[in-house]
Amino acid sequence: MPLGVLIGGAILILGAGRSSALDENQCLACHGNSSLTKTDPSGRVISLYVSEELVNIAAHRFIDCTTCHTGDPHAVETPLTKLSLAERCGQCHEYQYKVHLESVHGQQLQQGNPDVATCVDCHSLTGSPHAVIRVLEYKAPAFKKNIGETCAKCHGDPELMGNYGIVERVYESYMRSFHGKAIQLGTYEVTQIDKATCTNCHGVHDIKSAIDPSSPVAGLESLAQTCEKCHAGAGVEFARGFLGHREASPENIAAVYYAERFFTVLLITVLGIGAIIVVSSGIRYAINRWKE
Amino acid sequence: MTTQVGTAALEKVRAEYLNRFDIHQRIQHIGLALSFIVLVLSGLPLKFPAAGISQWWVAFWGGVEVTRAAHRIGAYVMVLVSVYHVVYLLYTVIILKRPFPIRMIPSRKDIVDFYQDLAYSFGLRKEKAVYDRYNWREKFDYWAIFWGVPVMAGSGFILMYPVFVTQFLPGWIVPAALVAHSDEAMLALTWIFVVHMFFSHLAPGVFPMNTSIFSGKVSRERYRREHTLEYERLTAENTGDTQGGEKKEQKK
Repeated sequence: MPLGVLIGGAILILGAGRSSALDENQCLACHGNSSLTKTDPSGRVISLYVSEELVNIAAHRFIDCTTCHTGDPHAVETPLTKLSLAERCGQCHEYQYKVHLESVHGQQLQQGNPDVATCVDCHSLTGSPHAVIRVLEYKAPAFKKNIGETCAKCHGDPELMGNYGIVERVYESYMRSFHGKAIQLGTYEVTQIDKATCTNCHGVHDIKSAIDPSSPVAGLESLAQTCEKCHAGAGVEFARGFLGHREASPENIAAVYYAERFFTVLLITVLGIGAIIVVSSGIRYAINRWKE
Repeated sequence: MTTQVGTAALEKVRAEYLNRFDIHQRIQHIGLALSFIVLVLSGLPLKFPAAGISQWWVAFWGGVEVTRAAHRIGAYVMVLVSVYHVVYLLYTVIILKRPFPIRMIPSRKDIVDFYQDLAYSFGLRKEKAVYDRYNWREKFDYWAIFWGVPVMAGSGFILMYPVFVTQFLPGWIVPAALVAHSDEAMLALTWIFVVHMFFSHLAPGVFPMNTSIFSGKVSRERYRREHTLEYERLTAENTGDTQGGEKKEQKK
């Protein structure tokens, strides 16, 4: 019994921190070298480096290189395209791959659009397939608290979004909303899971354009049903109160716009008077004291 | 011997102070102040969620769930205090048959006083305005709360129960309530921390704080200086009066 405890303890202590990736064919012996490159026929230099540090913490660290790099790994065409990368993930993650191809990102992906997000853009620490980490790890780009920022890598870029006619500052307006505030003020603890972020309303792998009728946020009826997923009993009137990632304006919920105007005038007037009486009284007190 | 000296000293002190606020008014002020502080501390991070200090502060409390609960408790206390005040007011007027506290109602004199005080500050007048029981700043504070608490409680209720509220009211009421709640809170906060802080804590003669709302008592000298008209009325009617305030009005 004491021996068992000793051995168990030794395994725990000595084993801790030892999470090196499974590398049955010693690929990292060469590919762990950051200066390893090759030059393709067109003369382009391509890095063949795989960061051991990242691959050791990756979700797939115990899956051997050859699981993805099938056949003769050295005969493979490099670099992979975004589509061929997604195909590779889809060999195991069949369902996610299938759904992803139906999403707004996947549809564009199949048309060869290099802008769109695919697997590694949301799941990898660096964009490299070797640095994909699990969603529940707090550093993961797809961890609840980080999702907004991950989407904002593209959707926070006005120029890129302008190409697709998306003018709403979706990230800023989300961060101003109660959902965004809760995410920002929340910790990295698991309680974050119940707070809404981009994917809770727009979908995850099946994400659709907001103007696509099949999107969960297209039209008041389906928007209300989406709200209702968290806000039990929410109806169309509840959904109507959503500013739609835009500032209030006379066209967009005028009541809110005029409320903002009213309170701005009220604040400036009242605080202006307050500042005048405080500053003028303060100066008067100082003058009185000085005269004494 | 010592007892006699002690009693005599106490009587002397009593005579030097006039009652300005009764126990109910003092409790109401403490309740309002404490709930206000809790509401600010638990609500302000929501206004600046991106700031590192907000995130640290919320984590210090134990997360948004905790500040949310604290904010609601603060709100319940503030609403309770406000209800207490209105009930107290009605009770003194209807049951105790005291005269309605008409001196809290803004009047033409307040505008004149405001102008005179401003003129005094700018060196255009030699003397400050002469106040009655409540000066224009005190009236403004009082009525600001009379406006502010319903706005904050109403909008806060809408934000607490948006699904329930939108069963009866249009959807825009929710984002409008957020605007009202947020802006009115900033107004109240800034006013309290600038104007109230200045006149009740920092101004000469009151520094570090005007204790009358906590003790209920004001020294005879200060009463004469700061609420001259009321003081003169009190002393004219009953020289050596130690009751003052609302009780005095009862006798009229």
